[in-house]
Amino acid sequence: PHPSTGGGGIAPLTEQEEEEQPLQAVLVADSFNRRFFPISKDQPRALLPLGNVAMIDYTLEFLTSTGVQETFVFCCWMSNKIKDHLLKSKWCRPTSPNVVHIITSDLYRSLGDVLRDVDAKNLVRNDFILVYGDVVSNIDVSQALQEHRHRRKVDKNISVMTMVFKESSPGHKSRCEEDDVIVAMDSKSKRVLHYQKTQGLKKLQFPMNIFQHGSDEFEIRHDLLDCHISICSPQVAELFTDNFDYQTRNDFVRGILVNEEILGNQIHLYVTQDGYGARVSNLQMYDSVSSDMVRRWVYPLTPEANFTDQQGQGCTHSRHNVYRGAEVSLGHGSQMEENVLIGRDTSIGANCHISNSVIGNNCTIGDNVVLDRAHMWNNVHISSNVEIHQSVVCDGAVVKEAVHLNKQCVLAYNVVIGPNLSLPDGTVVSMHHPEEEEEDDDDEFLSDDQEVGHSKDKTRQKAFNPAEVGPEGKGYIWKASMNDTEDEELAQCLWGLVLNPDPESDSESEASEESQDRSRSVSPEIDDVNAFQLEVLGTLQRGLEENIVCDNLVLEINSLKYAYNITLKEVMQILTRVVLEYPFQQQGTQLTTLQYTGSLLPLLKTWSPVFKNYIKRAQDHLDCLSAVEELFLEQDTHQTAMVKVLMKMYQLEILEEEAILKWFSTGATNDKSRQLRKNQGKQRMSLQRKESEEDESSEEGE
Amino acid sequence: MELQAVLMAAGGGSRMMDLTYNTRKPLLPVGNKPLIWYPLNLLERVGFEEVIVITTKEVQKMISTDPKMKLDVKMKLDIVCIQEDADMGTADALRHIQQKIKTDILVVSCDLITDAALHEVVDLFRAHNATLSMLMSKAHEFTETVPGQKGKKKTGEQRDFVGVDGTGKRLLFMANEADLDKGLVIRKSIMRKLPRMHIKTGLVDAHLYCLKKSVVDFLADNKSVSSIRGELVPYLVRKQFSKSMTSPNVNDEADQKLKKKDGNANLEIQILSRDEVLLQLTRERSCWNDHRGDMSEAYHGVRLRCYVHIMDEGMCYRVNTLAAYIEANRLAPKLFDEPAVHPSAAISVRCLIGADSIIGASCQISDKASIKRSMIGASTTVREKVKVTNSIIMHGVTIEEGCNIQGSVICSNTVIGRGADIKYCLVGSAQRIEPEAERTNEVIVGTDQLMEI
Repeated sequence: PHPSTGGGGIAPLTEQEEEEQPLQAVLVADSFNRRFFPISKDQPRALLPLGNVAMIDYTLEFLTSTGVQETFVFCCWMSNKIKDHLLKSKWCRPTSPNVVHIITSDLYRSLGDVLRDVDAKNLVRNDFILVYGDVVSNIDVSQALQEHRHRRKVDKNISVMTMVFKESSPGHKSRCEEDDVIVAMDSKSKRVLHYQKTQGLKKLQFPMNIFQHGSDEFEIRHDLLDCHISICSPQVAELFTDNFDYQTRNDFVRGILVNEEILGNQIHLYVTQDGYGARVSNLQMYDSVSSDMVRRWVYPLTPEANFTDQQGQGCTHSRHNVYRGAEVSLGHGSQMEENVLIGRDTSIGANCHISNSVIGNNCTIGDNVVLDRAHMWNNVHISSNVEIHQSVVCDGAVVKEAVHLNKQCVLAYNVVIGPNLSLPDGTVVSMHHPEEEEEDDDDEFLSDDQEVGHSKDKTRQKAFNPAEVGPEGKGYIWKASMNDTEDEELAQCLWGLVLNPDPESDSESEASEESQDRSRSVSPEIDDVNAFQLEVLGTLQRGLEENIVCDNLVLEINSLKYAYNITLKEVMQILTRVVLEYPFQQQGTQLTTLQYTGSLLPLLKTWSPVFKNYIKRAQDHLDCLSAVEELFLEQDTHQTAMVKVLMKMYQLEILEEEAILKWFSTGATNDKSRQLRKNQGKQRMSLQRKESEEDESSEEGE
Repeated sequence: MELQAVLMAAGGGSRMMDLTYNTRKPLLPVGNKPLIWYPLNLLERVGFEEVIVITTKEVQKMISTDPKMKLDVKMKLDIVCIQEDADMGTADALRHIQQKIKTDILVVSCDLITDAALHEVVDLFRAHNATLSMLMSKAHEFTETVPGQKGKKKTGEQRDFVGVDGTGKRLLFMANEADLDKGLVIRKSIMRKLPRMHIKTGLVDAHLYCLKKSVVDFLADNKSVSSIRGELVPYLVRKQFSKSMTSPNVNDEADQKLKKKDGNANLEIQILSRDEVLLQLTRERSCWNDHRGDMSEAYHGVRLRCYVHIMDEGMCYRVNTLAAYIEANRLAPKLFDEPAVHPSAAISVRCLIGADSIIGASCQISDKASIKRSMIGASTTVREKVKVTNSIIMHGVTIEEGCNIQGSVICSNTVIGRGADIKYCLVGSAQRIEPEAERTNEVIVGTDQLMEI
């Protein structure tokens, strides 16, 4: 027992108690996205090898070395594989200082679900570390943990989370462009005031209310790399339960910051200068982290350390960061230039040239092979005269003679390529057919966790295309789907964004921005009406494609109306506009008037129930007419089409005769519209007369 | 001569009208010296031998004739008068004296009282070949009660937001809260270059600027810029990050003219001095860089650079409000070591004068008077049993027997009647306070002055 150092006897005691509580961690061994598809179709991301060691081992080693004594590993996608891996690893040995509990469920769809489960199962009793299974780090978080605990003691549990960042200048290669954040913080308290992803933004906007917290010194930092390591209070799990719409940590952080005044919770940050921490969130990051690993930036987690303590994994480290496993054979005249890691039992032929590459176990490499920034996993066979640049070759892949892999190619599991083929930049080849993937796409939750089994039967076994994968090749080309919306494209893009921010374009836009600054003009924000218009357009488009009943379209538009707070009158005007512009939207603005009316009139017929739903009172008719007029004033080359449109609308009983005549007779509001009426007035009048007469007679006939 | 000093002393003191109604701001007595003495002294201390003083006719006349206003400085004063009613801003004034400007300039405002080490500002200017370097200081809380002001001053004032880089020297951003209704907006390209920005509020701009000569030339061509602080400085700060040649509408024409004159492309503000080529070469050949983290050249090739020196400690006041004036009077005497009591003052042996008080020339202090923490101006008469505490008494004031004056400012040539009790009041000049009057927390000024307000 310690002698008491004076002061109140209670405080040190609780502190001691707290110290005695084992430090816990929640490790989420699922990414809940498909960035590593199609690789992760065969192997969960956490088990992908980085420097010939599964990524989850790095994460667990990091947690253990930072003092974590109890780790909950949450798995979803291919949980059995992860479980098997962990059970075999040193973490599940009885001597492990870090007790690993594996919790699996197929129901997790996001980080939010995991943390809600943490709360439901009441797993954490104290501050815990939240980390993903693909984080590679050597940061000692005990300092951050201490600060976190201190804050919580002083401020009565106001601080719920401490995010760990690493200082790293913008443009550094280990910074993931899509993960770039800007953080506004209070310089003194290290409190996060604003947290925003900067991808795609030109200007960074900080609301003024974040500067009104009594402090007079703030920092805006763009030199931070989010390590995706967070120290959380037990409340974090509760907050996820309370706010069932929080899916990601980003949601959580934003929610806490925005509702700071209501909930009274705060988030702080901890910045490390010399530690290493990065999340392998796409192949670009995989490439960066892997090369950092080989270059020993993650010391003491180095390839030769064999921290996983597995038999035969050891390798030797020689100068220029060349690592060789056991039983590696190197042919005559082959060079391992620098930063090369070669796994055990790998044989390399003669006159090869290898630099900045990682080669797994049991690989065979032929003669005259050039490898640069290649990542080859286990059991890969490379024939002679192959050249590979910055590409990933997964387990069991075979590369035949004289194949050339350009930058950012991916050969997924068991693919065979060649011979005599050159794959262009960014080619992804997998044994899984892309179609089979698309069928899964119906599921809204993008996750690595799709049961592939059931769809396998459905897969139409298509023949491999020799033009794509070579005469002896096996595999299907995966194309980055360009027709999808941008978001989905992102999700599909294995390598992540290779944004080379072009400073010139930046400065070009500066001039205009500056003048905007000066004139204080409104930034081009989409206001509600525009957004509504876009949504209506989307709805109609979908309705057409999927043959949705008009009643449902009406329902959807109505809900949009409430969502964007649009008046009924505006709904009608926008609807009219969208429908009339639809042909332009679909076929470009170069349509002739004839083509235009040709494609528009059937549409009017299809959607007439939608119109009828909104156009009921006499005033509605007039509003609709004025919307028609407005549009044709803009599209002055197609003014002649207006007659036909009005006639059709009349025939479809969307518009009443009186309304049209009344609209015509009421004074035009400006010169242009007067012109419009004048141009076509007579013609229309006569047409209308005729029409109505005909109609009347036909009605009479009936 | 590396820098020419320019002293701006034409301001009217519009934020303390009650004080400046009779005495122009540059001549307000602070520690029995006119306010203008302080910046002059500051310049003299660092070795300036000549200074251009921009002021009004009235002030010039007073300086040259009134012995009380005698500036005891050895520098050569080149006094330039501008018309008082011309409503000229500080930038207008610079434009006015453009012919006299031969080198880079140091602009000082006449209401600056500071013990700042000026070389810090100038060193930044030199070291970075800056276009602008300026001085700021942490704002001080005014502790003294302000006469005539009821309750605490509202704290809801608009703050200035100043953004500096990681080193705290480079000035990146400057805006007033009032202009930030859409939030604080920073371009990402700036953040990419200088990823760490400190945003500071609660700073006082000392209105002390080092400016390149080219800026004065720029002003000469841009008649629309009228104030240094209000327009020129924000413009320069903003300009740091626009490489674009297309200039805002304001100086389109000027730009065109410049281009014609020189045929050089980058002449929006002509910052290329003659030795720029050599400097460029030096920079290329040396491994020095102003930043780290990316591999781009020093300053990212930005030619126009603004720097700021922010004082952490020390004294820096701008005497532009009554509160600041009182505070300055309390602290200013510490800036010079002259005897607190002027030798020519006639002081009775039986009076009590605190060590923290100043007595001006030819004063008469009678028996049993007690003066604490106060300043008594020249030719002031203090009669028997008068108690003066925490007050500022200007020139030629007569305080009759038995008065009690506390926390007040009494302007020149006022007569305070016998036995008056004045607490926390501001008494205008040439007033006559009736005997036995009791005044608390009032502003007592002449009716003519009231009319104007």
